[in-house]
Amino acid sequence: MIEATKGGGAARAALPSLRGLRAIWHLIPRPLRIILARVALIPMQLFGVLLVTFVLVRLLPGDPALLLLGNMATPDAIAALRQRLGLDQSVWIQFMHYLINVLHGDLGTSIFTSHPVTQDLLERAPATLELITYAMILTVVLGVGLAILSVAGRRYGFDRLTRLYGLAAGALPDFWVGLLLIFFFFHIAGWAPAPFGRLDTYLTPPNTITGFYTIDSLLTGNWADLGSAISRLALPVITISLVNAGAMMKMTQTVFANVYDSSFVQHARACGMPESRIVAMSLKNSMPPIITTAGFLFGFLLGAAVIVETIFSWGGLGQYAVQAVINSDYPALQGFVMVAAIVVLLVYLVVDVLYELVDPRIRI
Amino acid sequence: MRTWLMRPGAAFGAALLLLQVIAIVFAGLLAPYSPTTADPLHTLMPPSASHLLGTDVYGMDILSRIIYATRINLLVSITAVAGAFAIGVPLGLIIGFYSGIPSAIVMRLFDFIQSFPVFVLGMALVSVLGQEIWNVALVLAILFVPVFARLVRAEVLSLRQRPFISAARCSGATDRSIMFRHILPNAMTPALVQLSISVGMAILLTAGLSFIGAGVRMPTPEWGLMVSSGAQQLILGVWWVSLFPGIAIVLAVLCFALLGDELRILLDPRRRHR
Repeated sequence: MIEATKGGGAARAALPSLRGLRAIWHLIPRPLRIILARVALIPMQLFGVLLVTFVLVRLLPGDPALLLLGNMATPDAIAALRQRLGLDQSVWIQFMHYLINVLHGDLGTSIFTSHPVTQDLLERAPATLELITYAMILTVVLGVGLAILSVAGRRYGFDRLTRLYGLAAGALPDFWVGLLLIFFFFHIAGWAPAPFGRLDTYLTPPNTITGFYTIDSLLTGNWADLGSAISRLALPVITISLVNAGAMMKMTQTVFANVYDSSFVQHARACGMPESRIVAMSLKNSMPPIITTAGFLFGFLLGAAVIVETIFSWGGLGQYAVQAVINSDYPALQGFVMVAAIVVLLVYLVVDVLYELVDPRIRI
Repeated sequence: MRTWLMRPGAAFGAALLLLQVIAIVFAGLLAPYSPTTADPLHTLMPPSASHLLGTDVYGMDILSRIIYATRINLLVSITAVAGAFAIGVPLGLIIGFYSGIPSAIVMRLFDFIQSFPVFVLGMALVSVLGQEIWNVALVLAILFVPVFARLVRAEVLSLRQRPFISAARCSGATDRSIMFRHILPNAMTPALVQLSISVGMAILLTAGLSFIGAGVRMPTPEWGLMVSSGAQQLILGVWWVSLFPGIAIVLAVLCFALLGDELRILLDPRRRHR
């Protein structure tokens, strides 16, 4: 977007209509301009995602019809499905058909659950989103907090401790950490509930408003559900955060240290500004890269959710994807990969917009 | 080199690497039992003198399986990363040297591959290609190519502007000799550091894929699979089946992370005189 300022002079010298357009463009408030410029890229990116998910199933060795039907494959059924999927037509026409189906919300039928994949995914999405949201919050708080502690507390040797944590967190497999936490907090200490699902089995889920059990039960005043949902969220959220906060910390540390040691902060310190204000000031100025890192983190957390959901029988998208892998349920897997990619795209969109919003130097 | 080994991180990393090499080469001598033979009479035995780390649900000796698994886990991870390095480095060199539309397209392609969550894409690709160990290596190699290509490209872009390249060009050097003799040796450092770190990441990904059932299958000795085979018993208090292979993963990843960190320090010319 920085190139836009360079291009400005050239455009002004060019066609008057282009100049008019540019003038109108600059009448739009800056935040809206940032959002519009980003949203314009979305259709192209979505096209790319769909191309990949289409190619993914085309990579399958052998006849997709045979694989999609699995055990139900009779010659008649194969021929019918081949015709329905348009497999007798060219690859491009098949891709067009796939695009049209997806745009109509039709992701095929899961072989394992025999429900439409769209329905399966929608049912399970809130569970995963709730898990990832809380994990994301804890990871960012933990990562950024430790980074600040290590940089601002250098003279007390905190940086050595955090470096050790960073090394350890980077080497910990999330599935193993989850299992160990279950062992210690459920089996030995007895503090955590059994790792089976989002709610104690004797409770009925709160009425669906947002799909987040914690928020729904809070809104409906269902305190038993709230307590149970929180206690069941604790271990999976801690597992994901413990493993991923290390990476968050390392990235933040570099950025934060650069600002913390910069001359304008030293000047502020020399003027006698209290340490707490200095830390707050440095943090504010390191925000843009931290936001980007947090966005990247989301993709990792989605991967971590796949594993952690399996361990805690979470019943979300991740567990659905693992079942799809184990049962060779390709329509379900294809649908999951598509949804995961789209969610990550949307997160990157939000991150890019936030980045440009908090950095007033970026012209658009 | 000697002073470098005095650093605790480097010494610990090197010691761990040596341990793994020994486990790979002498697995047959070190392992007290066969890694794949079930023993129905001795299932889920806690650690004892006869089975130092206990036995799993099938009665297989956990220590022996951990030792043999070093071969699979390390060979898969190293092969994958070496493959990605062999493709990524020349690719990064070319797209850094010739900036044009083809290079821009390759970069957008990398952006795109990297915008998918690594684990999700890896899981889907392995599942589609077939759940075999070499497919895991292939998929990991594909996923790591952009990492190396990007690092080398960034170095090449800054090196291309330097006077010694112009000098080489003036003295009549061809593009090819400039790229391989003048730029490449100077652009390798970040990729070399990343090489070690990537092996650690590949070990974690391989183990994670096997854990969810998208990698190797029983009875192949593999760390992630071993952790997963003990997951159900862990809730009942049988801790040794999952604990020990997990420690093996942590140590292996730690080893390559430490070596990567220390390699960065060793290869950094500003630190060389200290």
